[in-house]
Amino acid sequence: MKAFFRVLSAERLKMSKSYLWLIVLASPVLAALIGMLVSSELAEWPLLLGGMSLFHAMLFLPVMTGLFSSFICRYEHTGGGWKSLLALPVSRTAVYLAKFTVVICLLALTQILLLGAILITGRIIHISSPIPWHMLLQSILGGWVACLPLAALQMFASLRWASFAAPLVVNVIFTIPNILITNSATYGPYYPWAQPFLAMMPKGMNGYDFGAFNLPFESLMITVLGGFVLFFASGLVYFNRKEV
Amino acid sequence: MNEFVIRTHNLTKKYHDRAAVNSLNLSIGRGEIYGFLGPNGAGKTTTIRMLLGLIRPTSGKVEIFGKDLQKDRLNILKKVGSLVEYPSYYGHLSAVENLEAIRRILNLPKSRIAEVLDIVSLTKEARRSVKGYSLGMKQRLGIASALLGSPELLILDEPTNGLDPSGIQEIRELIKRMPKEHGITVLVSSHLLSEVELMAGSVGIIAQGRMVFQDTIEHLQHQASSTIEMTVSEPEAAVWIARDSGLTGQLQEGRIHFDGLSNTQVAGLVRRLVENKHDIYRVEEKRKSLEDIFMQIVGTGGSL
Ligand SMILES: Nc1ncnc2c1ncn2[C@@H]1O[C@H](COP(=O)(O)OP(=O)(O)OP(=O)(O)O)[C@@H](O)[C@H]1O
Ligand SMILES: [Mg+2]
Repeated sequence: MKAFFRVLSAERLKMSKSYLWLIVLASPVLAALIGMLVSSELAEWPLLLGGMSLFHAMLFLPVMTGLFSSFICRYEHTGGGWKSLLALPVSRTAVYLAKFTVVICLLALTQILLLGAILITGRIIHISSPIPWHMLLQSILGGWVACLPLAALQMFASLRWASFAAPLVVNVIFTIPNILITNSATYGPYYPWAQPFLAMMPKGMNGYDFGAFNLPFESLMITVLGGFVLFFASGLVYFNRKEV
Repeated sequence: MNEFVIRTHNLTKKYHDRAAVNSLNLSIGRGEIYGFLGPNGAGKTTTIRMLLGLIRPTSGKVEIFGKDLQKDRLNILKKVGSLVEYPSYYGHLSAVENLEAIRRILNLPKSRIAEVLDIVSLTKEARRSVKGYSLGMKQRLGIASALLGSPELLILDEPTNGLDPSGIQEIRELIKRMPKEHGITVLVSSHLLSEVELMAGSVGIIAQGRMVFQDTIEHLQHQASSTIEMTVSEPEAAVWIARDSGLTGQLQEGRIHFDGLSNTQVAGLVRRLVENKHDIYRVEEKRKSLEDIFMQIVGTGGSL
């Protein structure tokens, strides 16, 4: 456990001097812009949430998940960094956990910023009804949890392939059909790239009551956690056996 | 002195049935500088990766500080510093920040960073981002990282790779100080004997995954076959006289060369030549250079 926190602190240092925080900021800022521009049509909280998180959940969040995973492995892939990192007296499990933690913390940060953007936009466009905390938090938190399987999967891919771009390109390719796949109540809930989208959209409003969106939140979360455990464990086993 | 820091027992690594390292028995004593030599693709890096637990041996065992690497990996690695293939660094960070990242993992006092920077003489450049460093500076930063945890054993894989002669000299001086000033045992690999002969006490020579020589540098020199070269007044006739006494000499540019003559054979030959009224101008012993020996060992792939 101590080893985990020590590696985490080293990882934080490595990331602190990169420009990754710009990316963390990008999607919430864009969402705020959308919220302001079409404010007349988003005059209720559920509409605002749906409108502001549409592109975020459908597109940016899955893409960012892949980007953070690639980024956290990038420095080790260039110039034999894995060899020097793993020749230090720390277990590979600690390294894996620390890197994964950084990824999901960055995702959490984006989600918190998005929540902030929604609240501020709502205030600016004068939505008079009380803030529906339960709905907002379920969407923000659920979206974050729904990123976990994808994060684990992308982490696996980024550990596996030394290339920085390859896992990213694959990730984008799998993200694009999201809108189609969510139409299918059968496959949608199992598709890791669509899960954040399914989790974040407010229910029954705004037309989000088709296909996989009909699945109750709880069932979606169970699927998500199952996928997460599967991908996370596979990545961990793979990393522990990897020849460096 | 007979305390071993590293010992391997029939260490083997196979890739698709081809052995990159084959039944290697390495033994390195405490306080030694051990030169680990072999041509490209001989298996040096593969061996070193097994010593650090980065890859698993197909068979065989590694013992470091008398402990089994497979069982005690993390405890062993606490006392090992390493640099494998090329120095790795985070280019967007400065030398201090690079070392800080490792320091956090090793949980050391902050003062250690200044100490190792001083050892490798990087103190002045330490705040610049590493991207702009020369290869020699990066190599020194790599060594500084390896030294950070005050290791008892330093494993350096081709630390002089790609450096110019003065860079090589610098790194060599740095390595030579390790056992004396810090009590560190050093394993340093290279594909050039000339690079390690001035610092190593012992050498292991590996070719095609097999250890073909392992002993002190002196023994290596000793094992070299020498040639006796004679300059005489009538070389052609002299070759016949030599042949008469059962010695085969080659005539080259008016001089006669004999391989591996004993003292008695030289004395006997000289006596016969004098008795036959030859003038003997020179009798010289030509030893092969260490590099020639190395090439000979590696070339044949067999032991001397
Ligand atoms: N992952 C791998 N898969 C297949 N073959 C490998 C692998 N790693 C190394 N080899 C082979 O093992 C042999 C030894 O390689 P190694 O890198 O240990 O040599 P080396 O002595 O370090 O050479 P160099 O001086 O070029 O660094 C080579 O023939 C290499 O092709
Ligand atoms: Mg090598």
